Amino acid sequence: MRLFLIGIIITSLLGAGAYVIKLQRDNGILKANAIKLESAVADQKQLIENQKKEFEEILTANKKMNELVSVLKKDLEDLDKRFNKKNRDVGKLAIQRTESIERITNGASVLATRCIEIASGSPLTEKELNATKKSEINSECPSIANPNYIPY
Amino acid sequence: MLILTIFLTSCSGVKQLEIFKEEVPRAKLNLEKPTPLELENLRWIIITSANAEEVFKKLEEQGIDPVLWGLTDKDFELLAKNFARIRNQLKITNDLLDKYKEYYEVEDGETR
Repeated sequence: MRLFLIGIIITSLLGAGAYVIKLQRDNGILKANAIKLESAVADQKQLIENQKKEFEEILTANKKMNELVSVLKKDLEDLDKRFNKKNRDVGKLAIQRTESIERITNGASVLATRCIEIASGSPLTEKELNATKKSEINSECPSIANPNYIPY
Repeated sequence: MLILTIFLTSCSGVKQLEIFKEEVPRAKLNLEKPTPLELENLRWIIITSANAEEVFKKLEEQGIDPVLWGLTDKDFELLAKNFARIRNQLKITNDLLDKYKEYYEVEDGETR
């Protein structure tokens, strides 16, 4: 009977010991899990920050593209005005002042050719960049050829 | 009893959390931007009924065939506007490409 009781006590102590060891091991795992979760939360926060930044970049890019479309549209309207300002008839003008209109046409043609080059990605020259006066600009496409020119 | 205790405590353990993160970057496209155009300037000649003979005579004197492709003043206006529209479209497409490159190709050469 005594041996049986001693057996039970020893078994109980060993069982309790094994349970404590298991609890300690579980505790270690839980701590490691907590650290990983904190790291995951930090990663998520970083991800959200990056998404916000990207969204702002998209908005800025869209705004710039819309601005470009507007200024190019204005260049086109200005070209239309040059042909039809105050009921101007270029044909009649060319008959009356042939040489003068020919010179103007060739001058504008050179500028328009340069506009195509710029539009295709050609870098702006120092002269084009520094143009701020009406006499210095490329009158065919000032919006893309002369970024520092402010119409007055 | 001991075996039973060990057996039971091992059954309901806390599982270790595993987070897998493996980001595989997309292969870079790396297309070169098209070379900007370098265009030739062309010469416009205005012919009226008054100067036509003189124009053709000058062409012959310069060794140029006395033949011209003609446009009316209205068609010239349309040509100028068409070119302006093509130019605008070219600029928009080119800038759009720049914006895509800026957005998807970050500074250190990595892609998003």
